[in-house]
Amino acid sequence: MNVISASSITGSALDAEKMRVDIVSQNIANANTTKGIDGKPYQRRIVAFESLLDAASGPNMQGVRVSEIKRDETPGEIISNPQHPHADDDGNVTMPNVNIPFEMVDMVTATRSYEANLAVVRNARQLATQALSIGR
Amino acid sequence: MEMVASLFSSDNYTAVKKMMDVSALRHASIASNLANVSTPGYKRVDMSRSFEDELRASIKSRNADEIAEASPRTEVDALTPSTRADGNNVHIDSELLGLTKNTMNFNVLTDFASGSLKQLRHAITGRPA
Repeated sequence: MNVISASSITGSALDAEKMRVDIVSQNIANANTTKGIDGKPYQRRIVAFESLLDAASGPNMQGVRVSEIKRDETPGEIISNPQHPHADDDGNVTMPNVNIPFEMVDMVTATRSYEANLAVVRNARQLATQALSIGR
Repeated sequence: MEMVASLFSSDNYTAVKKMMDVSALRHASIASNLANVSTPGYKRVDMSRSFEDELRASIKSRNADEIAEASPRTEVDALTPSTRADGNNVHIDSELLGLTKNTMNFNVLTDFASGSLKQLRHAITGRPA
């Protein structure tokens, strides 16, 4: 049994939420990247979570992990900008399909979930400290 | 010797030990729920209702052996309706509230266990701890 109960579950969640924030920051950083490493405009990445049975913490207990990082295939906006180095023959540039407000909402959600899991860590530590001080 | 043994096998002391186990398990359930707050289709885990009824009845009976026998278990709570499109029924606020409540509960239980042991030490040494 763990002294800090369910620490592996909470650890997996902190990892996964951190990954979500990392991906959001990658999306925002590339909001104007019209030529990615594959030569095409950047496509925003989407993180998918899946739960993971954690038998060590007991039956029904589930951790979480990032199952997949997918590309969003939605076509990006096409704007007319003939001066742009990546413009096609008609002077049109395909922009990445990153939507900044959407990314910000995703970032706030991920941060709040991360904080909730940190609260679990704080409480787990308190439980362990209390249990260790029984009889003192 | 009789007195010391009866302190550790009393119904109250046994009930406190059992309830601390329950608290630890409930903490793990809440950890699982909060870990999966963004997982599509996840259903929250909670202490089993039938276990809670069992424990309540055994504590009422004031029989230490019966209390010791109750084994804490969890169940998947599919009854709480989901308010989200992805079918997940975890509500972050109520889980955090439950987390705080559980920790406070545990504090009360450890205080009680410590109190019993302090009384024993008081009786042995003849001076308060």
